[in-house]
Amino acid sequence: MGKTSKDKRDIYYRLAKEEGWRARSAFKLLQINEEYNIFDGVLRAVDLCAAPGSWSQVLTKKLRQNSEAEDDVKIVAVDLQAMAPLPGVKQIQGDITKLSTANEIIKEFEGLKADLVVCDGAPDVTGLHDIDEYVQSQLLLAALNITTHVLKNGGVFVAKIFRGKDVTLLYSQLKQFFSFVTVSKPRSSRNSSIEAFVVCQNYQPPDGYVPTMANPLLDHKYCDFNEFTGPNRFIVPFNACGDLSAYDSDTSYSLLLEGQTTYEYREPVQAPINPPYKEILDKTKNIDIRK
Amino acid sequence: MSVPIPHIIKTDITAVKLFGNIVLAGIGSWAHVYDLVSNKLLQTVHALRGQKIYGFIPSKDERNIIIFGGKQFSIASIDWSFDGDRKVLRLNPRVGPIICDDWLHAVVWTKEEEIAALTAHNVVQVWNTSQERLITSSHSKDNSILYSGCLVPLDDDVLVLAGTVFTDVIIHACSEAEPLMSLKGHRGVIFSISCDIQKQLIVTTSDDRSIRIWGPSTTVTTPANTKEYWKTVAYDSKYEVYGHTARVMRSYITDDLIISVGEDSVVCFWDFQGNILKKNMAHQNGCIWSLDADRNNLVTGGGDSSLVLHPLTVAKEYGEHEILHADVGNPKKIYFTTRRNIVILNERDELQFYDVELKSVTETHKLAHESTYKLMSLSSCKQFVAVADMAGNLDVFAETCKGEPTLRKLVNTKLKFGKILSMHWAGNRHLVVCSDNGNITVLASKGNEVETVTNFFLPQSKERWLTAAGIDSKSRLFAVGDRCGNVHIYIIGKNNPVKTLNKVHGRYGPTSITIKNNGIITTGRDGTIKHFDLTNDTVKYMKSIDLNFEWVEKFLDKNENIVCGFQERVFVVYDITNRSKLVEVPCGGGHRSWDAVRYIEQIQDNYDEFIKLIYLKNSELHESIFQLGKIVSRNIVNGSHTKEINCLQSHLLEDKSAMYFISGGEDTTLRISIYNTENGPSFHDSAIFKHLSSIRTVKTFNLDNNKILLVSAGGRAQICIKVIEFKDIENKLTVESEELVDYQVKGTDKERKGNQNWKSCGVDFDPEMRMMDIEVIKVDHGKFLIVAACSDAILRLYEFEYSDNKNSFKPAGEIKYHKTCILKTKTFRFQDKDILITCTTRGQVAFWNVTDNLTSNKIEHHINSNDAKPFYMTTTNKSGINSINAKELSKEEVIFATGGDDNAIHVNYIKFKEFKCVEKQGTKVDNFHCSEVTGLSFMDRNLILSTSIDQRITLSKYEINDDGLTCNFVSQRYSDVPDIQGIDVICETSDNATVCVFGKGLEVLNVDKPR
Ligand SMILES: C[S@@+](CC[C@H](N)C(=O)[O-])C[C@H]1O[C@@H](n2cnc3c(N)ncnc32)[C@H](O)[C@@H]1O
Repeated sequence: MGKTSKDKRDIYYRLAKEEGWRARSAFKLLQINEEYNIFDGVLRAVDLCAAPGSWSQVLTKKLRQNSEAEDDVKIVAVDLQAMAPLPGVKQIQGDITKLSTANEIIKEFEGLKADLVVCDGAPDVTGLHDIDEYVQSQLLLAALNITTHVLKNGGVFVAKIFRGKDVTLLYSQLKQFFSFVTVSKPRSSRNSSIEAFVVCQNYQPPDGYVPTMANPLLDHKYCDFNEFTGPNRFIVPFNACGDLSAYDSDTSYSLLLEGQTTYEYREPVQAPINPPYKEILDKTKNIDIRK
Repeated sequence: MSVPIPHIIKTDITAVKLFGNIVLAGIGSWAHVYDLVSNKLLQTVHALRGQKIYGFIPSKDERNIIIFGGKQFSIASIDWSFDGDRKVLRLNPRVGPIICDDWLHAVVWTKEEEIAALTAHNVVQVWNTSQERLITSSHSKDNSILYSGCLVPLDDDVLVLAGTVFTDVIIHACSEAEPLMSLKGHRGVIFSISCDIQKQLIVTTSDDRSIRIWGPSTTVTTPANTKEYWKTVAYDSKYEVYGHTARVMRSYITDDLIISVGEDSVVCFWDFQGNILKKNMAHQNGCIWSLDADRNNLVTGGGDSSLVLHPLTVAKEYGEHEILHADVGNPKKIYFTTRRNIVILNERDELQFYDVELKSVTETHKLAHESTYKLMSLSSCKQFVAVADMAGNLDVFAETCKGEPTLRKLVNTKLKFGKILSMHWAGNRHLVVCSDNGNITVLASKGNEVETVTNFFLPQSKERWLTAAGIDSKSRLFAVGDRCGNVHIYIIGKNNPVKTLNKVHGRYGPTSITIKNNGIITTGRDGTIKHFDLTNDTVKYMKSIDLNFEWVEKFLDKNENIVCGFQERVFVVYDITNRSKLVEVPCGGGHRSWDAVRYIEQIQDNYDEFIKLIYLKNSELHESIFQLGKIVSRNIVNGSHTKEINCLQSHLLEDKSAMYFISGGEDTTLRISIYNTENGPSFHDSAIFKHLSSIRTVKTFNLDNNKILLVSAGGRAQICIKVIEFKDIENKLTVESEELVDYQVKGTDKERKGNQNWKSCGVDFDPEMRMMDIEVIKVDHGKFLIVAACSDAILRLYEFEYSDNKNSFKPAGEIKYHKTCILKTKTFRFQDKDILITCTTRGQVAFWNVTDNLTSNKIEHHINSNDAKPFYMTTTNKSGINSINAKELSKEEVIFATGGDDNAIHVNYIKFKEFKCVEKQGTKVDNFHCSEVTGLSFMDRNLILSTSIDQRITLSKYEINDDGLTCNFVSQRYSDVPDIQGIDVICETSDNATVCVFGKGLEVLNVDKPR
């Protein structure tokens, strides 16, 4: 396989390199914004599960347009993995489901609350769909729990979600905290992928709700208005976002895009700074599988 | 099969439990009980609801069992009884399923009616099982999300071992919030923890591919089953070991072994010092999810839906190896005889006979050869030994059949036809000798001499001699292989080949040729076995079996099922039906002299199968004997696809006696599986074909009773066409296949390489697209139009002609109409024309009149033109359309439904006048599913069946009346198959429908229709 083969297979991978984004995910956030204007007036934002950092790049670029003074803008990025530094982004390395990490984030927003919380958290998938969906939902709930501490009333929360068999449980839970909940699929996200994004607008916690980090938020159970099977499952409206003229992530495009006359291969913007277990991979490469 | 088709579920096996001769397997939400002796399914219990089973935990007295998974657990009592002298069990569901508020990683019995469960947030819940009541919840201080955990009941507490997302295992006692210690060292998610407190041993497996063995680093005198011990002891990493090439999912500790299983389909057996004893490949490259062991056996459950039983002797008793000490001079060639003695040709120009019973050379025959270039061959029954030199001196010996084994010399002669370049037995009576200039002489014995039976002429080639020879049972037809990989077929009396099969195997030529039952089977050093059909003297290529070792030498049985060869330096014996390696011996490669036999021998009261290998290494004669019962794993439940099934079509035989499933998937295989209930329900893959990349679509066309055209397509722009025949041979259902077309839009890799000489080696700008869907439309007798929907937005047309003796496949046009990836197609008849619908990632639906506008004489006109237009176009869903169905309601009316990524189903009614839409009504429902709608089917009485990634199957009903079109919910049910990619209706009656949903596995179930 030549080095251009990934460029051929994935138009957004290629565009990300051309536009200087660390990951193709940048387009997902940009396309969500096209539909919902989530950056309007936003100065303070939290980027959960942020590595390698393309959403933080988008946030930096967009939020700076909202203010004359650079100092007004505050972006906190959190991930398990180390991330190459980005000017103007405060980084925290940690597990967002862990109390200590959550407290560190909350501390950053004592005083002034955040206008926007985004979370692109995805676990290392095991291949067992129910576990993967469960762990992903726990990342979302951990992010929601942190959100209840740091987000201003009326603020926006955007999070990745796996639309698996129990996703309606998450929908009904999010609806308790936000007036508007929709689920969106950016055009840069593959048709065949289970991922989508919930866009939750107008943060309004239930009356008397006291945020607590002491216990994790647990997901809902099926109940009368959200049945396991039947017509009463809690399903939120769906939106496809991104311009109709945007590139389509399932379509195979020629390396010479319409209107282009040359193509040049580009290296990735930011190679992973700590590729997981590199030395181990080297070690296991020569394992004789027939011993 | 009795009339109602039973429930079938095949998916990941995520929990297993061994009880002597009985094994429990968690397949989806169902517990399956199997008898290991008869391989029979004894019982199925619907233990959980909408949740996979992850564990079976019997109580100490084995009278109750917890069945848990996800947030649920249920309890069944176990009734033991005797069937003859064998103990069998029956599960009686008693409690639950009870739904907890969090995911359960581990459950243990603490008292007779009390259990403790560890949740994914590091909380231990204690439940009273008779009152079905939560008694206590103990939170650990560290409640980050866990990936795995293990609970160990202590005398005075419960020990908790928690595996975190990041590297640490945290150990604490349930009654105390403060952790006791952390095991640090892994570099990734902890996937499993096993603990044996008696042995003071903890084993962890991780995302980082390692297995760690932990033990106490301090000496503590208090017993390990007390809290006191754990409060004082310290554990550290004793061994960090690597044996898997992917993530390590689970481990198990037996009396003297640690067993680990991984995503790489490998089972590793370790001793307690971390030394690897043995590795086994078990689940066709699928992940292994679960394991359990007792004193004798290991059982594993995998991502290929299979349940496999492994004898534990494999770890320590893998074959008996010996160097046979005998004065054999400098041996050059060795072979087994019929009675498994050994004939040895040595450098001293002697043929020796080694008696295996006596363990010594009993005879030495001096040969009077002139040349040191010698040829040796054994007849197919191994009784006759022929030795010749290049100068033509030939000796033939026979081993005596009875009494003392000896070698008798039959023939001693000198052949006078020039230099002898090759010599092979064809069957037991014919010696095929190839000399200079391609002269082939077939000899048979006559007294002490030989006579020429016939002569053939080998076509010109470099290295013009033979690599293998075969003969048919009537001794009329010969097939030989040459050094270019060709197979030539001769008939007695004709000098030149009546047929040459070109390049059947690689440049070393075929290694063996078998002619049998109107077919030729060849093996080669290109990792394949090829099958040809010889009916009526025409030769048809049928299929290739691809093996995962390069050098395939010969069959060891009479049914052409056990084959042996080499994978680099390792000798391999492979079972084709079960697709498993039986034996592997690192003996140093196939270039040395070696031979192998398979035989059955009585061992105490039973018969067992043996493989015996001899080989020369450093001039010594090595022997290895394998008792297969001690080393070979066996399927209790057969496996199938290892990854998602993308497409499936079922075929129910008319008498409903059996069902076929034709399926293609992400694992790049196309499989034809047979389900029947003759001897208890059984599902097995009867044929497996490989594509270069994932298979996205299969379509069939009925040619004849039980004979179909099968078209498959997918990634790397590949289309394959086969004819499949379902046969019932001696009461055994089989699938016969003939491969007709294997086509890639941009040429095969070989063709492309070949082209590089003249093509500039610059970047190829065209992407290699995926074929997303395909349709087969009959246009004339034996003539088909194949329409391929492609990811580069182009609709490609092909013309395919098929008749008994010829077929042709050629491109017939490209239609560039859509702007984005075409995801789905559907054809149906409307106004007696073939109508094609195409759907895209942007929710567009286009209708094409195939009969009038796209069939072959018209297509030429359209080749590469942009002006082929659909007669109707509309946009339904907000984004990609993943399922479509349509049908004619009347001469003017059509109803169609689309399901999309937007979780909506759109139902549309259209009235056409002369293919112009004159009326349209539509409705959209988006609350029947909460995820991508991937399957849609119309049934009678206006019913629509739909399915989705959300694992629900919904029945709804549309109505057209004065108010327009409506679609209403009727009923819904859940399926255990994750990642559902579609639905296939197997059969339909007025009361219900039997359907198959497929994705990560498949499920066949009945959907009741409303009254
Ligand atoms: C899809 S990537 C995010 C990409 C990012 N939005 C960007 O644009 O570059 C998902 C990230 O989730 C992180 N993650 C997963 N589990 C986490 C956890 N428990 N705490 C923090 N981060 C986590 C992973 O390390 C990974 O970097």
